[in-house]
Amino acid sequence: METLKPDAANYQSLLKHYIATQDEHSLYGAEQITKQFIKNNIPPEEIVNLHIQAMAALYPDLPEYFRHSMKFLLETMISYGIAHQEYHTLREQQSELKSEIAVAANMQDTLLATTKPAIDGLDIGVVSVPAHQMNGDYHHFVTGEDGSLGIAVADVIGKGIPAALCMSMIKYSMDSLPERTMRPQTILKNLNRVVERNVESSMFITMFYAQYLPADGKIRYSSAGHEPGFYYNARENRFEEIKAKGLVLGVDPDTDYRQYERVLHQGDMVILLTDGVTECRQGDRFIESEEVLDVIARFSHLQAQDMVDKVYKHFERLQNFRLRDDFTLIVLKKEV
Amino acid sequence: MTMDLQSCVTIEKEWDIVKARQLGREVAQKAGFGTVDQARIATAISELARNIYLYTDGGKLCFEIIDNVEQKGISMLSVDNGPGIEDISQVMEDGYSTSGGLGAGLPGVKRLVDQFDIQSEKGKGTEIRAVKWVR
Amino acid sequence: MDLAIDVIDENKKTIVKLSGEIDAYTAPQLKEKLLQLTKIEEHKTIVDLENVGYMDSTGLGIFISALKSTKENNSSIRLVNLQDRVLRVFQITGLDEIFTIHTAIRGGNE
Repeated sequence: METLKPDAANYQSLLKHYIATQDEHSLYGAEQITKQFIKNNIPPEEIVNLHIQAMAALYPDLPEYFRHSMKFLLETMISYGIAHQEYHTLREQQSELKSEIAVAANMQDTLLATTKPAIDGLDIGVVSVPAHQMNGDYHHFVTGEDGSLGIAVADVIGKGIPAALCMSMIKYSMDSLPERTMRPQTILKNLNRVVERNVESSMFITMFYAQYLPADGKIRYSSAGHEPGFYYNARENRFEEIKAKGLVLGVDPDTDYRQYERVLHQGDMVILLTDGVTECRQGDRFIESEEVLDVIARFSHLQAQDMVDKVYKHFERLQNFRLRDDFTLIVLKKEV
Repeated sequence: MTMDLQSCVTIEKEWDIVKARQLGREVAQKAGFGTVDQARIATAISELARNIYLYTDGGKLCFEIIDNVEQKGISMLSVDNGPGIEDISQVMEDGYSTSGGLGAGLPGVKRLVDQFDIQSEKGKGTEIRAVKWVR
Repeated sequence: MDLAIDVIDENKKTIVKLSGEIDAYTAPQLKEKLLQLTKIEEHKTIVDLENVGYMDSTGLGIFISALKSTKENNSSIRLVNLQDRVLRVFQITGLDEIFTIHTAIRGGNE
């Protein structure tokens, strides 16, 4: 090891000084050398050997047993040294993988991009944050020719790359559905067949699909086993769970979905979410759905986007800034 | 190129691993390796011998000194009649080890030596040649 | 958190008693066990979830594959003693309508 040579002299003089004085100064010097060793990838056995050489030079008549003990130490360091090298290689590979995933996540963002539409009289807020690099939650806005707004919120079982791949499939199936079939129950029925045919048996997707008709302030919706959202009744100042029963996508190809309808009045809200919101954990404790509602209610006087941002920040902090699951929250507020 | 006579150890029992290390270290010493490299050679021999002991019905390890004009070194040859390795790339991959954690297995051997070559045929056995030069 | 899987074999029927949490980490061992049992023709598998306090969507996925496997192999799977939180997951996903679920194991005569 060429890189060891200048250090060898340095090591020996520091060691000598330390043996004479036991001062902190030499120990600080030793720490600096260690950093060099690590930087130059010097294996531990070389360091032990350096010590052996230094001691032999400083004390030519070291006892036999001491020399044997140092050789013994050197032998035990060999495997440690290979493990250290392997760790290095694995770390490099890991950072390569990380940057590949970052590229994939970027691609996913582009593929699944959707823009929050501007609809007169409807204030919309959206937040969607992945727990890991790639998001297994999905939301999508479509504006129909008749002025209606389609909103899909979906969650693929699991997280990470498999979930993300599955989402791309859903997005393209949705894009290929003809416009006139944009009724929630029809969309879910179609998607269900696509998912059933294309994904592995233990995988499934939940989706809530809503269609807002601005002309009559009406909302139509169907659910494929998705975490229920909430409806806020402004006149009664009351939240209620949106009950919409339906089987998750991908289990039974012949499933029919029920469609529900509701008229929104001024100040009413529709809150759509994924289980990343309702399954937040504080330590080992799950938060209850009343707590979720409390937090939503606390910020409900704000503009929809402000509101979802504040709710997200609250739960992010509650979970020590480490999301366990992808988190998506959408709020629709009827303004007039 | 001049070569010493080969010295070999048959690997059947776990104890034979120690015998192989011992013999290999003697050859390495004779070739002129320093303490650190002797220890590295012994560790490489351990891994090779353990592979024979664990995964085959038996095999042998042979050592010889290589002495040519430019350099001097040791050659370690591991031969077994075991099941063979189907996917060599996989076995040589870091982090892949059936017997131990980080640092174990053939990638470890490769790191300890200067040249490493492996040939294997399914059902016939595996031959590994590792060479380390005196620095 | 771990998941303990206790298996009690009876004639043509197996009771799988689970204790712990079913999530992405504990799911693979459960999947292996359930698929092995549901592959046996006409075999009855009863999964007792009394001591399962948490199950995430990975767990649901496993029960779905087990259910699909019973349909291919003419066997059956039944879930008993679900805690409220776990039962809620089945209800939300609509899976309570395609699974045979009993919230109390005693008192029934099936």
